[in-house]
Amino acid sequence: MECVVQGIIETKHVEALEILLQGLCGVHRESLEVHELCLKSVPNLGLVSSEVRLLCDLAKPEPTWTVRHIGGAMRGAGAEQISVLVRTMAESKVSKNALRLFYALGYKLDHELLRVGFSFQFQRGTQITVAVSCVNKMPKLHATDDAVPVTPGIQLVEVTAPASSENYTEVVAAVSSFCEYLAPLLHLSKPGVSTGVVPTAAAAAASLMSDGGGTTL
Amino acid sequence: MAAMEAAAVAAGQDQQPPAKVVERLNPALQQQLNLDSVKTRAISLFKAISRILEELDAIARANATPKWQDVLGQFSMVNLELYNIVEDIKNVSKAFVVHPKNVNAENATILPVMLSSKLLPEMETEDNTKREQLLHGMQGLPVAAQIDKLKTRIDMIGAACESAEKIIADARKSYFSTRHGTNLLPTIDKVQATKIQEQENLLRSAVNHGEGLRVPGDQRQVASSLPMHLVDVLATNDSLQDSSGLYQKSTPPLMSTTAINNQGSLLQASGAQLIGRPAASPSGPTGSNSFDNNTTASPMQYANSPRSGANIMNTPSPQQQQSQQQQQQLQQRQKMLQQQLLSQQQLRPSSMPVLGQNQLTQLHEMPSQSQQKFQSQMHGQHHVQFSQPLGAQQLQSRQLTSAAMQHMSPNQMNQGNQLNRQLNQFSSPANSALFNAAQATPTSQMIPNMSAMMPSQSVMPRMQYAMSGANRTLPPQNLSDQMFNMGAANTGGGMMQIQQQQQHGAQGAFGNMQQSSQNMQPGMMTMQNTQQNHPNFQQQRPQNQQ
Repeated sequence: MECVVQGIIETKHVEALEILLQGLCGVHRESLEVHELCLKSVPNLGLVSSEVRLLCDLAKPEPTWTVRHIGGAMRGAGAEQISVLVRTMAESKVSKNALRLFYALGYKLDHELLRVGFSFQFQRGTQITVAVSCVNKMPKLHATDDAVPVTPGIQLVEVTAPASSENYTEVVAAVSSFCEYLAPLLHLSKPGVSTGVVPTAAAAAASLMSDGGGTTL
Repeated sequence: MAAMEAAAVAAGQDQQPPAKVVERLNPALQQQLNLDSVKTRAISLFKAISRILEELDAIARANATPKWQDVLGQFSMVNLELYNIVEDIKNVSKAFVVHPKNVNAENATILPVMLSSKLLPEMETEDNTKREQLLHGMQGLPVAAQIDKLKTRIDMIGAACESAEKIIADARKSYFSTRHGTNLLPTIDKVQATKIQEQENLLRSAVNHGEGLRVPGDQRQVASSLPMHLVDVLATNDSLQDSSGLYQKSTPPLMSTTAINNQGSLLQASGAQLIGRPAASPSGPTGSNSFDNNTTASPMQYANSPRSGANIMNTPSPQQQQSQQQQQQLQQRQKMLQQQLLSQQQLRPSSMPVLGQNQLTQLHEMPSQSQQKFQSQMHGQHHVQFSQPLGAQQLQSRQLTSAAMQHMSPNQMNQGNQLNRQLNQFSSPANSALFNAAQATPTSQMIPNMSAMMPSQSVMPRMQYAMSGANRTLPPQNLSDQMFNMGAANTGGGMMQIQQQQQHGAQGAFGNMQQSSQNMQPGMMTMQNTQQNHPNFQQQRPQNQQ
């Protein structure tokens, strides 16, 4: 299971966000470059078609593959009150043969995207990962070198934290409290709920980028 | 509150030490609290509880079961009495008494310490020093005067803070206004907001649902060069028919990268003609890891329609570093083989046993000329290859070649060996065709293994092994019996048996084969067995790629 919130930020403010995150998290940023292949099973393979995502981490010299299955989100009145989306998620590292395996199993490539950006992984009540990335699409199949951003001026911010069914309330609380720190720059919400940009983002970004008040008035 | 000014004792017993000023409760409060009655009630409650405890004690000592009804009745009475007392006190004593809510065995002993309001010694000294600091110079004054002085001090500090905040706010305003020339409250105008909203929806739907990222099937052309991380993941282009993949395959442009790839393309082309299996793997312009592609693809492929342009035994592994001459020779042979085996391919769907012989005879007949050529070239190449160190390559290749071996029909073993050799060398699809032909039973179960085994062979080791095999005196009948007995048996198992019969030179391979055959039951093969073999072969594949 994982708790996840998403938000958007304009590309011009990404640097300020990085500074803010650096200060909040206390760890160094890790660069993020992930080629995500979303595979869907053909309809007659199961009751419903299932979807599986293969992520290839291209940041390191040796690409590593991960398979991830995202399940349904928690529902109900309690879930609606939480501002964070709690959903089942299973993830595992796999060898590079995974893609071939899934093709042999009958999965077909539904879509693919390339995320390029940075991420911070730190501990604040629970392990939290903040990933700021520009989402790119590939005009031609698998052409990661020719990827273009889906939305040039806007980048995606995703805050995720692993959870289990026993401790998800604490994880939700930790994630929510962390997100409040980001309030001056961006709003975070459940995936699927649009937020818009924050009016104070420009001012907050300016103050973050400033050189510490060296300017005399 | 008047009661607070006088420190009261919870039990309600006034103490009257003569030397000290007696602090008494406010008389009104005293009446309300009615401490005397509380005291009497508490004492009677205490007596009742002790009586009950004595009774329980007696019962326990007598080891008799107490009458729970009575005990519970007494307990409830006591409980009620206590509750009443507490209720009465609670209203009044909230101001100056702490009533613990949850007293149980754990904290009963420590509670008095925790409830006491006396400070710890360190805290007390700290408190005193702070008080000293604060009331410096004011100790002598009466309390009221001290209070007033402290109040003025607080007011002064408050005023200073306010003015400081004001100054900071003013400075901030002017700072930002000079920088941005905007208002204090930044707003986003509507147009921009809607634009951003659209973009946001685009982005969110793309990330979460993949909207806008799907390329329609007809436009899905693999890019001319795959990124590095996909090069060895996706196989080279295979058949035109995709049973599971999405991509149309086109071999030529992809094979132009390396010399090996070039050869591989020819091999593939020949393979395509030789084996009509659909390729289950997605296409990709890779030359190197065709083995993997074949392995995973083949089971499905074979289960499905015949494959055209299939490429089971794809490009030779990097091990297959042959001289240019050899390559050219190989290509020539391939072409000849292709033509000859193409006819066999079409016959395959029909009953195998009949065709087995036919096909093999065809094979043998086919290039009478080419066979000679093959043989002569083979001999020439033998030398070259013998000189090379037989090592792991041999070990790995032996699996496949032995598998190839067993599929030769008995009376044609030797010739078949040579042909097999060549086929092994030059086109693994040709091998598969041979195998198919030779097998007595439906080979769908065996082919996967075969194809699994095939790719991992490098050409030269195959040749070497085949050669050594040719030199053996094989008991053809045994071989054929084994083949037919196995039926849907595991090819690995068969190979194992054959190898055991073959004593020439290929000792190392036996060890390797034995590993794989341990999972198999010789002579008792089932479908499951063959599939189980896959992991073996797949595991061994990495070894093959040196």
